[in-house]
Amino acid sequence: MKGKKKSYKWVPYLFLIPYLIAFFAFRFGPSIAGFFVSLTRWNIVGQAKFVGFGNFVELFKDPNFIKSLVNTLYFMLLTVPSLVIGGLLIAMLVDQPLKGRTVARTFVFMPYVIMSTVVGVIWLWIFDAHFGILNYYLGFLGIKPIAWLSSINWAMPAVAIATVWWTIGFNMILFLAGLQDIPNELKEAARIDGASSWQVFWNVTLPLLTPTTIVVIMLTLINTFQVFAQVYVMTGGGPSMATLTVVQYMYVQSFQYYRLGYGSAIAYVIFMFLVIFILIEKKFLKRFGDES
Amino acid sequence: MKFRTVLLVAVAVLIFGALSMAQPLQLAFWGGWTGPDGNVMRQLVAEYNSTHPNVHVTLTTMQWTPLFTKFLVSSRGGQSPNILAMHGPDVPEFASYGLLTPISNVLQAAGFSAKDFAPAAWNGTFYKGKQYAFPLDLHMNSIYYNKKLFEKAGITPPTGWISGKEFLNMAIKLTLDKNGKHPGEAGFDPNNIVQYGIALYSLNWHGFLEWYELLRQEGYNFLNPSMNKIGYPLQAGEKAWKWLQDLFFKYHVAPVGANSPLQDFLIGKTAMLEDGPWEIPAMKAQKGLEWGTFPVPQVFAHKAVWGSGHVLTIPVHQDKAHMKAAEDFVIWLVKHSDKWALSGNIPAYNSARKYASSLIGRNGFLKEAEYVAMLPRIPKESQVFSSASVSPIVVAGQNILVRNQNIMSVMKWMNQQINMILAQ
Repeated sequence: MKGKKKSYKWVPYLFLIPYLIAFFAFRFGPSIAGFFVSLTRWNIVGQAKFVGFGNFVELFKDPNFIKSLVNTLYFMLLTVPSLVIGGLLIAMLVDQPLKGRTVARTFVFMPYVIMSTVVGVIWLWIFDAHFGILNYYLGFLGIKPIAWLSSINWAMPAVAIATVWWTIGFNMILFLAGLQDIPNELKEAARIDGASSWQVFWNVTLPLLTPTTIVVIMLTLINTFQVFAQVYVMTGGGPSMATLTVVQYMYVQSFQYYRLGYGSAIAYVIFMFLVIFILIEKKFLKRFGDES
Repeated sequence: MKFRTVLLVAVAVLIFGALSMAQPLQLAFWGGWTGPDGNVMRQLVAEYNSTHPNVHVTLTTMQWTPLFTKFLVSSRGGQSPNILAMHGPDVPEFASYGLLTPISNVLQAAGFSAKDFAPAAWNGTFYKGKQYAFPLDLHMNSIYYNKKLFEKAGITPPTGWISGKEFLNMAIKLTLDKNGKHPGEAGFDPNNIVQYGIALYSLNWHGFLEWYELLRQEGYNFLNPSMNKIGYPLQAGEKAWKWLQDLFFKYHVAPVGANSPLQDFLIGKTAMLEDGPWEIPAMKAQKGLEWGTFPVPQVFAHKAVWGSGHVLTIPVHQDKAHMKAAEDFVIWLVKHSDKWALSGNIPAYNSARKYASSLIGRNGFLKEAEYVAMLPRIPKESQVFSSASVSPIVVAGQNILVRNQNIMSVMKWMNQQINMILAQ
């Protein structure tokens, strides 16, 4: 007589338990709690007062919040194209069989390992209007000193420049991995058929790089939408709120004004934006990923 | 058998009791001193621990903003620290939440009274007539000056209060363009200044504080007596802003939109700097810099300077033994606060302040100690006097001192925003 075979289907879930405990305790649980907090007026110590969607209504009437949202979108406009196109171009450059390419890859990636606050301090010095090194060199070109961080027109581009310098290495690595996944035979076949370098790039490399490109774009959108530390260090959100970003506004409301309900409402608006980005990514990945 | 069991239990209880008795009482002390000042406080705490074997104080330091958030969260969970440092103007907010213990009787029992402390420091410990904190120190604005640059310009540094006019003349003499010309001279080029007279903060909330002290020099308070509305005449506010704005845009003696006034001063690009005593360690660390301090200029009728002060509070949520030990520690700390002067802060306790006068660079601060004007003490302090970029006082300072905007319209906007916050 053969005994009934034991099922061990549940075993993998057992291994997941430690992670799930941490996930529910520190991620999912607080996220859900955050939603309920966003429906209240609460300063941590007092009793929370239920206000329904009052915080969300107030949010969209709050000119500072609208400004922080517009500023964040402007920051994304300044950084995302440079980070994606620049990252791809650098990746293509360091993918060439040139001498010293490993060193070049290291140098491009190096800023990414620096802490964001250190990046902020470095660029604070570079951008100093009166005694900064950038204005010193621009002076040789006959350009008058620019008030990089104290002018409402230049402050955000200055933060964007620092951010591109800091994070472009990460995109380069992703693109490099994507480029190295493309079989060389395909490019060789195209060249044998008489395709120029541009045609090889446009008709072979770029289409095959589509899934990587979509991932890079989405990661860049998500990261730039959550910009905080470098702005906090370089401009503090000024001058005159010209660089105030949405995450910074959430921080101010929650931890400087102790308006936890309002801060949580901002967090949920940020979350909704991120969900939209991810849904778009999924849609694009499904469509273009399958094609390529 | 029975006797042996009883004996064993008795011995175990005795050993356990002895061990527990040997354990010193643990006190948690939180403060926002993250610079060299933290090391000075750590040394004081170590001295206390070594001389009081029954108590062990552990100092935790982190920046003030996360520290206060941590305090609120901990208090919510009934886990407050035993001693919490804060600034005088922070007291009403935390006292209004019911998180601080009134300590008037403790101060009286220890023999302290108002006459033992600098007036601003003592007054900064009250909220609604009750005293919630022990005054530890004062830290106010003062003028740092570069001795070599003064000597080069042929100026004898002042030792006491000087008028606004005298200060401006000095700043003009200390400002040089690349051809060595001063502001006001024919051919002076404001676009090519190589050395400025004074470094002033204008991008952060210190721009507002520089204005606030001028308003107080005119004899006005920022808020009305009920502390629920703006209380100063617009003309007085305009006069104060105008004096500051002219330093940047009319006389060109201060660099517009300077990101790091301290660094500009340390490397000799500016001859003077208006800043607080917390910069003293940076001055001492700068090789080759010879520096001193004198009081901020008296531009209007009264002597006044913006200042704040660290105070020590005893949060609620603790048993009597811990509370008593915390009180004893704080009393000891105040009495030994002469050594705290090494951190740059000026002790609030009069007899401790004498030691500060023997230290380098304290002249300006000590001369100002009687004239410190703290910000109004209100429960909404964290919003009204916030240093965040969205704060109306920060934006107003930037619009006037960096963007050279019309003072009256900016000030009306600032007042409206602050009245709105106060009315909420």
